Amino acid sequence: MTELAAECDVLVIGAGAAGLSAAYEAAADGNRVVVIDANARPGGQYHRRGVKDPPYFPAGTTDAQRWANIATYMGWQAYAADLDGDLVVVRLRGDERHRNDLHAVSTRVLVVATGAVDRQLAIPGWQRPGVMAGGGAQSLIKGSGVLPGRRTLVTGTGPFLLAVTAAIVQAGGEVAAVIEANQPRRLIRHAAQLMPTGLMKSGEALKFAAILARHRIPYLTGHRVTEIHGAEDDAAVASAVVHRVDEQWRPIEGSARTFEVDCVTLGFGFTAQLDLLMQLDCEAVQSADGGLAVCVDDNQMTSVPRVLAAGETTGVGGVDLAAVEGRIAGIQACHLLRTDGQRTQPDSKVMTGLYRRRGHLRRFAKALALSFPTPTAWVAEQTGDTMVCRCEEVSLTTVLEARDDLGATDARAIKLLTRAGMGWCQGRMCSYTVEGLCPGPTSVASQKAAANRPIGVPIPLGAVAKQGRA
Amino acid sequence: MSDPLCTVVIDGRPVQVSPGMSVAAAMMSTGLRAWRTTRHGQAPRGLFCGIGACFDCLVMLNGEPNVRACLVTVEPGDAITTQGGATND
Amino acid sequence: MPSGQNYDAIVIGAGVVGACCAHYLAEAGLCVGVVDRGSVAAGTTGAGEGNILVSDKEPGAELDLALLSQRLWTELIDVIGSACELEAKGGIAVGYDPSTFEHLQQFAAKQRDSGVIATEVTGGDLLALEPHLNPEVAGAIYYPQDMQTQPMLAAAHLIARGVRVGRITLHTNTDVVGIRQGDGGAVTGVETARETLWAPIVVNAAGTWGGQIAAMAGVEVPILPRRGFILVTEPLPTTVHRKVYSAQYVANVASDEASLQTAAVVEGTESGTILIGASRERVGFDRTRDWSIVSTLAAQALQLFPVLEKVALMRTYGGFRPYCPDHMPVIGPDARVPGLLHACGHEGAGVGLAAATGHVIAQSVMGQTTSIDLQPFAAERFGALHV
Repeated sequence: MTELAAECDVLVIGAGAAGLSAAYEAAADGNRVVVIDANARPGGQYHRRGVKDPPYFPAGTTDAQRWANIATYMGWQAYAADLDGDLVVVRLRGDERHRNDLHAVSTRVLVVATGAVDRQLAIPGWQRPGVMAGGGAQSLIKGSGVLPGRRTLVTGTGPFLLAVTAAIVQAGGEVAAVIEANQPRRLIRHAAQLMPTGLMKSGEALKFAAILARHRIPYLTGHRVTEIHGAEDDAAVASAVVHRVDEQWRPIEGSARTFEVDCVTLGFGFTAQLDLLMQLDCEAVQSADGGLAVCVDDNQMTSVPRVLAAGETTGVGGVDLAAVEGRIAGIQACHLLRTDGQRTQPDSKVMTGLYRRRGHLRRFAKALALSFPTPTAWVAEQTGDTMVCRCEEVSLTTVLEARDDLGATDARAIKLLTRAGMGWCQGRMCSYTVEGLCPGPTSVASQKAAANRPIGVPIPLGAVAKQGRA
Repeated sequence: MSDPLCTVVIDGRPVQVSPGMSVAAAMMSTGLRAWRTTRHGQAPRGLFCGIGACFDCLVMLNGEPNVRACLVTVEPGDAITTQGGATND
Repeated sequence: MPSGQNYDAIVIGAGVVGACCAHYLAEAGLCVGVVDRGSVAAGTTGAGEGNILVSDKEPGAELDLALLSQRLWTELIDVIGSACELEAKGGIAVGYDPSTFEHLQQFAAKQRDSGVIATEVTGGDLLALEPHLNPEVAGAIYYPQDMQTQPMLAAAHLIARGVRVGRITLHTNTDVVGIRQGDGGAVTGVETARETLWAPIVVNAAGTWGGQIAAMAGVEVPILPRRGFILVTEPLPTTVHRKVYSAQYVANVASDEASLQTAAVVEGTESGTILIGASRERVGFDRTRDWSIVSTLAAQALQLFPVLEKVALMRTYGGFRPYCPDHMPVIGPDARVPGLLHACGHEGAGVGLAAATGHVIAQSVMGQTTSIDLQPFAAERFGALHV
């Protein structure tokens, strides 16, 4: 693989809209900027590109001189970040073909723009082949041009269901129906906050509406997928049962209907990827969608000096917000790197515009989150053999026993007693379910504990051992 | 104009796939939906999160076990093998 | 009658030591309240490896306690069943070169006099016990009495059983803020953030926080944290069959050094992951990670098991062993405060010593002669020592 720099002025983790926007601004003063990303091509989840697609650049980032100062390394995954005096050391592992390649980069400023993954909830049958995260299905289509199935049921909550649907039908696939667990009347409650940005985004909504109409795809609101079936135990998806649900997503008796499909996508919002930020012990809060988000100030600075965050890590808000936050973070990175004599305030007119736009987009994101909440009380009421932890194959019965009979009062204790969250994915798939199964409201401390992964990606022991000798 | 395809070997069977697609996509394009079994239930698993977070899509690539099929791009001649249990010895 | 709940005894700490104390007190017929500031097994118990060892202990009071505990643990399996993953897997202490092997042999000879079963193994016999062990090591001592358990499950099931039969009441997420004392300083209960819990007997099984609990009763028990890290690999088919460690480990366990010490301890678990320890350092309650420790532990584990070279490290976890200056736990009644008993300061041996600790605490509370003389474990042994 390409030889990486050992040090730089600004290290950006994530080559999506937030990361590349940050990198472009950070390179303004001739700073040495390094961008790393686990994927093969830049773009992140939203702007994911296929091998034949033109490469992704954020809108308006046209200055070739700036890009010349930015080194982008694809296929590297950051697994740890630590402070070292005035520097931040980020440890990287090579891609799946180069897992023994370990590298450390010391940077003066770190920008974490690691995005989010689909948030999941355990449902009977969700471990069957043919069930996919909505974002995963979209990635498969955008990145590789392959459909997730012949006939797909798109389920979960939020406007993202429509984006998944559009991706599938535009690639020539069939969508049996879109199953939205929330009721659109919730949108009306938050109409005031949705208005200014909503108008701007209405074009996108109209496009989705046209796709649903043209392909005669039913859009069932207030419905949830309740069971996913296959021909036999463990077999791939053959059908899915959908119920009408109440506001707490409890199924209404007698409302079951079955869809014959070979693919079901699930998506209940997103979970920010905070591994590096939690390793650095950045302060975090619960955002409107119930997920954990890192705290940032007006200039995207976290509670840890020289560590900035942008995009979904600061609260799930979509690609436009990510790009604006990335720009502000990049500008701030430049500002931090100027010595006192050279220090000038960033162009106030530009900043005011960026702040205002970010404010609009954040209010819009919050209103969307409140319009599409994800209640969890119903999870415990499902059949006991529902698999909560996919990696360690821990059933709902086991988790409830730990809670009710063994004295586990939080997600960490459930993990220690049941192994839910101890497997390959380190709780990335089941933590929202487990938190939902714990008594009482989820605390930030519990969410931080769940998001604290000392090693972000598995690294071979042999490579770790050699690192000490270097 | 059709794209030039490349050949990879999936469980001993040569298959033509498009260069640039992920190993997971390559397998799905041949109709495979699962390529790993779990350690306890021996249950089949394939692509789930699709972006490297869930580790469900682990596969043996050129003799190396536990490779995330969603994160790696196919290369001509790749030997891709389904894997079972905890890992392959 | 004052308000609040009444118990015959209150155990502070729902870790494995507290759970064993509560279990044996309940078995003796007492009504026991267990209070923990967090969840069950959330402290050092939840950060350990689950070792029940006799092999790493020098002849003396602690080894006698360990041997008693080892017997009691095998009985406890009948009480709580297979849920706690108790495994009589045996331990192997490895000497890389002839001189360390000789040192191990001398150590084992002394242990045998105290009732430890210790067998010298070399060459093919050693590889038969542990097929993937580095074949170049000079020799090893095999300790068949060493066992492993999943300590969180063991603690939780012991308490749950007492709750089921109506002998134990569990108060989780309950901070103890004071010890109630009556005439002559005798304990009458504990003050929690929520309510007062009354009992004439209070057992301090608060692990690393045992010193603070003692202070609430006006006495000093010098318990300090000794930080440790454990590495966890990806799940594998059984590769390491027993608890395998290098000779250096025994020296480190007994060491007074404040600075970092590491010695390879490698063991498989029922879940398929391999645990790699063990580091020891005295840095207070600092949780900051040091990557050089991770590297060193990995290198030392590979020296024992070169086969793990390509195996992936999945996570690390850390915790704080509660230790006393003389590396002996504090067990038994505190002569200075009637009704107060201590069961803490077990350092890295808490899981192993828990069963015997609970057993002798219950004997002591019931006025029976204890199976082991508790004098060497008395809290007053530190005299006027100030922390």
